[in-house]
Amino acid sequence: MNAEALLLRGISKRFPGTLAVDGVDLEVRVGEVHALMGENGAGKSTLMKTLTGCFDDYEGAIEVGGKKVSIHSPREAKAQGIGMVYQELSLARPISIAENVLAGRLPSVRWGTVDWRAALIETRRCLGLVGLDVDPRKTVEEISQHEAQLVEIAKVLGNQPCILILDEPTSALSREEVQRLFAIVKNLKRRGLAIIYISHHLPEVFEVADRVTVMRDGRKVGTHDVGEVTPEALVQMMVGRKAGEFYTERKRAIGKPFMCVEHLTRLGFFHDVSFALRRGEILGIVGLSGAGRSELARSTCGLDPVDYGRVTLDGETVDPENYPRAVSQGLVYLSEDRKEEGLFLRLSVKANLLAARISRRGNEMSLVQRFIEELDIVASSTDVDAGTLSGGNQQKVLLGKWLATDPEVLILDEPSRGVDVNAKRRIHRAVMALADRGKAVLLISSDLPELVGLSDRAIVLRNGHLIGEMRAEELSEESVLLAANGHGALSHD
Amino acid sequence: MTNPARITSALETAGIYIVAAVLILLGTLVSSEFLTVANLLSVLEAVAILGMVAPGMAFVTYSGSLADLSAPATMAFSGIIAVAALPFGLPLALGAGIVAGLGIGALNGLVVGRLRANPILWTLAVAFFMEGFMRFTWSNNQVYPDTEAGTSGAAFIAMFRVFVGPIPLIVMVMAAMFLSAHVVMAHTRFGKESQLVGSSRAAALASGIRVERLVFLNFLAAAFAASVAGIFLASLNKLGVFYLGQGYDFKAVTAVVIGGVMLSGGRGHIPGVFGGVLVIGLLTNIMQFMGLTSFRQNIVIGAVFITVVGLQQLRLRLRGRDYA
Repeated sequence: MNAEALLLRGISKRFPGTLAVDGVDLEVRVGEVHALMGENGAGKSTLMKTLTGCFDDYEGAIEVGGKKVSIHSPREAKAQGIGMVYQELSLARPISIAENVLAGRLPSVRWGTVDWRAALIETRRCLGLVGLDVDPRKTVEEISQHEAQLVEIAKVLGNQPCILILDEPTSALSREEVQRLFAIVKNLKRRGLAIIYISHHLPEVFEVADRVTVMRDGRKVGTHDVGEVTPEALVQMMVGRKAGEFYTERKRAIGKPFMCVEHLTRLGFFHDVSFALRRGEILGIVGLSGAGRSELARSTCGLDPVDYGRVTLDGETVDPENYPRAVSQGLVYLSEDRKEEGLFLRLSVKANLLAARISRRGNEMSLVQRFIEELDIVASSTDVDAGTLSGGNQQKVLLGKWLATDPEVLILDEPSRGVDVNAKRRIHRAVMALADRGKAVLLISSDLPELVGLSDRAIVLRNGHLIGEMRAEELSEESVLLAANGHGALSHD
Repeated sequence: MTNPARITSALETAGIYIVAAVLILLGTLVSSEFLTVANLLSVLEAVAILGMVAPGMAFVTYSGSLADLSAPATMAFSGIIAVAALPFGLPLALGAGIVAGLGIGALNGLVVGRLRANPILWTLAVAFFMEGFMRFTWSNNQVYPDTEAGTSGAAFIAMFRVFVGPIPLIVMVMAAMFLSAHVVMAHTRFGKESQLVGSSRAAALASGIRVERLVFLNFLAAAFAASVAGIFLASLNKLGVFYLGQGYDFKAVTAVVIGGVMLSGGRGHIPGVFGGVLVIGLLTNIMQFMGLTSFRQNIVIGAVFITVVGLQQLRLRLRGRDYA
């Protein structure tokens, strides 16, 4: 057995009103990938924040490499060799890769001027650790999201950590990019790093991790070798009760075409896309990232411009680029960017739930209560800031905001990204209930089980072109993946 | 149900009134004449003009556009126009003054709302431009109303000095403006949507809110308030001139901010702003009793602003509210 790189004993962290982490023990060995799982709000992030020095008032003991240490600031964490790659990238976009990677430790010659030669050499070395071959003089804006993520990892590796924490590193990556990332992770592991890997994706954990620790409600549920557990058992540990059937069969009472998209084109994004969405239908959009799914959705509802074509709602034309009007007509879009575009993080849960329907009458408090109950939103009160909720509950609030407008057509863009199992189930149930009431849903999701499980029908988008349509019985995770890549049998209109 | 968020919010409003109470106590110690009805009424009278500007300014801050620094120019301009239009009768003159001010507000609202100009720099530029424009148009001169009894000019000058029962008209106008601002901010769709825009412009856009129009209307509200204040200021000085209104930009922002409206937008309310105006009034009054020169008064007010903004940021940090 390898030596332990990190040992946590009885770590607790209290926030006003809650014990976010409650006496957690964790042992991570040298040269292992240790997955950390749990629903949103289970305490994973808080535990990791403790480790990276975000709090100075935790309880318990931390040992790094067998030595007892106290970590009360990010600086101390860094000095102890703990590096974390956050889910949201922390790179400065308008400056060069080299300056980002070497932030705070740019080599200098005389009088503090930067030694660019040494800086470029050192940056290339760091980028080499993640197998990235780009010009370090390029700015972060000029590279892809995937490359930016690798730059972020390279930046952390540059400080020569012995413990590397990766927080949901694959949430913004395509399948091929995930594979490349895993190769890098395995390589780092061989170099003797201890890696803590936070993820919601079961297949990923089984693919990349050696051991897995599950947390629930601030406590540790258990640690297991990946070889000894099944996905079902892990889900069980996370939810604490029987997982049950995820996608219940629903009676599909699909009605007449309600929203018609005709020859819709936004040059450079999608071209000549036509389809009809029927009442009571959940229509999936299949496509890889970059296929133009979100762009199509945003233009359809008027958030983004349109070059040609039109959209009609029950025969009535939807004004292009007039989202407020679309909302009043019942055509709404749930943004994939919860923090920026979705929620008002500094406003209360109540204000958020009512944000899109201020102009309408009705008993606000009973409406708020209804959605809190229907979506099972966990908040100490409806007056707390939405930003203080866990990710899953934030996402439920976001969905509630749109459900409160009583929409005719709900466009969902990644409705459950980065959300725990229970929240996901609540969200799905609410979406299905909406369709059952005769409303129409357009669904974009990179989560294949979700897309396959919810959709009654799907259209396939590839490089901005609609290349086909799939009926419910044709939908499976495999067929959807093949179709997104332009393969497989497609029934053309 | 206990409601921690509401209680803290109530405490935040109470905070500024506690400061006011402390100042009253302090004032009593400084002078025996301080705690008299006459003096307290004079405090209200002294802050009446500021109290007309501040509720308008609050809308700009609340809706996330920081501040309208063209307020002094708007005040001066509406004052000059009103005085210049007096020969056409008082009602028309007042209307012309307000419309002139609203013109500046509309320009600000259009440019900041639609073109997304930085509100501080833009309104500063507008103030600079307007000062030049007024000096050029009126050749650096002051504009005087006709002071003969029975003329509209005399009525104009009287506006600042008239009493309604025991209470000066200007105090009544200030109260009316605070009251209507409070109703609009707390209880109307416009107020609620302004809060959303102030909290997150991107999220407001993605919620189907007409952000440009709201920003426009908020600047219009600020300009309306500044115009009313400008007209009364011209009435006080018995003339209209380009520099009337100087200093009200910063004083109004101070009142808004110490009244608990967050500079980052989306948080605060009008009762707090009134508290802020009151505190400035009391502070000034006490300093006058103590015989401080106006320069020294500025130092104190500036220091209060710096302290309050610092404390606000500190409190946000401590509460962990810097996640947004």
